[in-house]
Amino acid sequence: MKYFLNVFIAVLALASAANAGPVTLLNVSYDPTRELYQEYNAAFAKYWKARTGDDVTINQSHGGSGKQAQSVINGLEADVVTLALSYDIDAISQQAKLLPANWQSRLPDNSTPYTSTIVFLVRKGNPKGIKNWDDLIKPDVSIVVANPKTSGGARWAYLAAYAFALETYGHDDAKARDFITKVYKNVPILDSGARGSTITFAQRGIGDVLLAWENEAHLAQKEFPSEGFEIVTPPISILAEPPVALVDKNAKRHGTTEVATAYLEYLYSDEAQEIEAQNFYRPRNPAIAAKYAANFPQLKLVTVDSEFGGWAKAQQTHFADGGVFDQIYQSQ
Amino acid sequence: MKLKWLLVAVAIGAQSGIAAFGQETNSSSADIQALQQEVQALEQKVEALQQQQTTQSSPAENQQSTQVQDLDQKVRILERQRELDQQAAADAAKAQPKITLNANGFSFSSADSNFVAQLHGVIQNDSRTFLADGGGTAGKDTFLLRRARPIFSGTVFRNFDFNFTPDFGGSGVVIYDAYLNYHYNPAFQIEAGRFKAPIGLESLQQDVWITFNERSLVTDLLPNRDMGFELHGDLLGGKVSYAAGIFNGTPDYITPPASTQAVDDDKAFDGRLFLQPFKTSDETYLQGLGFGVGGSYEDDTGSTAASDLTSGYKTDGQQTFYSYATGVYASGRHWRLSPQGYYYYGPFSVMGEYAISDQQVTKTTTSADIRNSAWETTVGWVLTGEDASYNGITPRHPFDPRNGSWGAFQVVARYADLYIDDRNFATYALAGSASEAKAWSVGLNWFLNRDIRVDASFSRTTFNGGGGTVNNGPVTAQPENVVFTRVQLGF
Repeated sequence: MKYFLNVFIAVLALASAANAGPVTLLNVSYDPTRELYQEYNAAFAKYWKARTGDDVTINQSHGGSGKQAQSVINGLEADVVTLALSYDIDAISQQAKLLPANWQSRLPDNSTPYTSTIVFLVRKGNPKGIKNWDDLIKPDVSIVVANPKTSGGARWAYLAAYAFALETYGHDDAKARDFITKVYKNVPILDSGARGSTITFAQRGIGDVLLAWENEAHLAQKEFPSEGFEIVTPPISILAEPPVALVDKNAKRHGTTEVATAYLEYLYSDEAQEIEAQNFYRPRNPAIAAKYAANFPQLKLVTVDSEFGGWAKAQQTHFADGGVFDQIYQSQ
Repeated sequence: MKLKWLLVAVAIGAQSGIAAFGQETNSSSADIQALQQEVQALEQKVEALQQQQTTQSSPAENQQSTQVQDLDQKVRILERQRELDQQAAADAAKAQPKITLNANGFSFSSADSNFVAQLHGVIQNDSRTFLADGGGTAGKDTFLLRRARPIFSGTVFRNFDFNFTPDFGGSGVVIYDAYLNYHYNPAFQIEAGRFKAPIGLESLQQDVWITFNERSLVTDLLPNRDMGFELHGDLLGGKVSYAAGIFNGTPDYITPPASTQAVDDDKAFDGRLFLQPFKTSDETYLQGLGFGVGGSYEDDTGSTAASDLTSGYKTDGQQTFYSYATGVYASGRHWRLSPQGYYYYGPFSVMGEYAISDQQVTKTTTSADIRNSAWETTVGWVLTGEDASYNGITPRHPFDPRNGSWGAFQVVARYADLYIDDRNFATYALAGSASEAKAWSVGLNWFLNRDIRVDASFSRTTFNGGGGTVNNGPVTAQPENVVFTRVQLGF
């Protein structure tokens, strides 16, 4: 029996080895990271080739963070996920059991190699004079933002507005809810992802202000120079921590665990941190953050943990079916 | 606004000119400052004029302008909402189950393809006509439903494939294939159930793509279906295929269900290795080369009541020409070896196979090692130029006489020879059995389209020895000349 077991294991090993071919990874990410990962993937492929002599191709998939997580749960064969918020990766862990529950402790900084925040992108000259969150509830202001049920960035934007209200009204939740109701009363249309809402604002010419990822706002400025968009950084916003994780079971099945792990670890390297900063993601590396400090205005950044008791609670309270968002948006 | 910039530009130009002049004339910086102040004053005047112009607009005009802007926004929002609705509808359509009906059969799959149900089928309507049948083949001419098999197959939970294939072509319903296959990846798959034993080349070819109505004499020495487990897969992009399994063990060519029932506690080990080293080569003339070897080993423990031996070797016309004598049974080692290969290049095809079946047998108190062997080669040429392959021929111009297209035509020829071990022949062979059968065949296959095929062929088998009057055991005709036809639907 032992002999047959040995033969079986040998055949398995042979099968795995013989099945090896060009290495391909699938990075399932959220909407606005296309440009970042295009640049990073090229850098990593070069690094991996130098380190191992192997070629690696990284395919990208982008969409609303919540939708992307659901796709992975439904079978999209991601080797790694780089999503907008930890709750979406928790969902993959809990519902599909594709990675362990402690995934966030496996990489530094809670598996978030870069951070970001939510800012305002306004039209040339800021004709509505939008400077802070309370300017958004003026009756004549039209806001463009994605649907927080499907978009990670939109959930950060919602919570940033809510956090402003809590801070402003002495943590009076009723007043904060009233404030957020007024904010979404000025939202005429909800895209499913952050990139979609950028298109709505920048290409379709809808609205006075786009609630955007900081990096997305810079990208829109760059992509539409003739529009003269201006970025307004409010005095207070939220510390957005988009996490990254290995999808263990998929990577193991694809035989890509080693390269996928290296792919995520390399996001913390100096080279990658430079790329992230150049793409307007706030790097974790203090030296590189200091080098690009001019790109990232200082503001008060609250966290989900401190204001909302963590993502699980925030999700349940605000974004689950029947939650606060459903109540305030459906009632309009 | 344009006016403002014009003034600024003029002023800057003036400033530059004066600066240049200043360099020549060494003018003082006080002049430049004066000019700057003048520009600023002009800017202020322009802005004041613009503000005056705005305030001079009538309230009605302002209201009208606001209304136009509001309407413009509403139209834009409606257009964008329509765009998003269309996108959502397209996304929803992608999430719907997919139904496919085409030449490859009927398929129903979930949106993510993790669950797939497929229906395929084979119907073969044959005729056999024995010529110059003065002997035992008289009365054997017949139309017959050779195969009538719906094939239910598919996938559940992404990695588990199944196949269920009953046959309604015989006197009763018989389950030919019923298995579950777990595919971890192409290189590593485990199959369990009833399916074809992994040894022979022609025997593993799909029924709808075999060259003649019946497989060659070589197949007589190999197992048909068997029950068991098999580890199999394709390596290096299909250049290497392997299969190894443990089965109940089956006598030489017996059809299900009898072939898959265990007669004793001993199990058979079957395996096959097949190489297509140039499958992905740039040299197209080498891509269709494949060769390999299959084999099996088992200990058979038969008895006079259950011999665990073949019920007989059959000719192309499905007449038995060799059987073991009554009271002979399997009593030990049974091994098979089958080197095999094929070559396909454009319309040309050649397939060859050799097989040995070595069987220990006993009759009363005497035992012997019987080693039977066979070989065959089949050649084909597609007259209409399509590529031949192990997996069939796809006509370039499917049958459609109204448009002058007639499908594909292939001429085929085969020679096969099966030797019966003539040591102790008289002791172990049924009286009247032949010790060798040689068969040559020619045929014309007409592929109307991918699914429908009409064949006609002639086969002549001659025998060494044998002959007699015992029914259903010895050679029935010497030689045996048969004309076959087939009308086949396979999808």
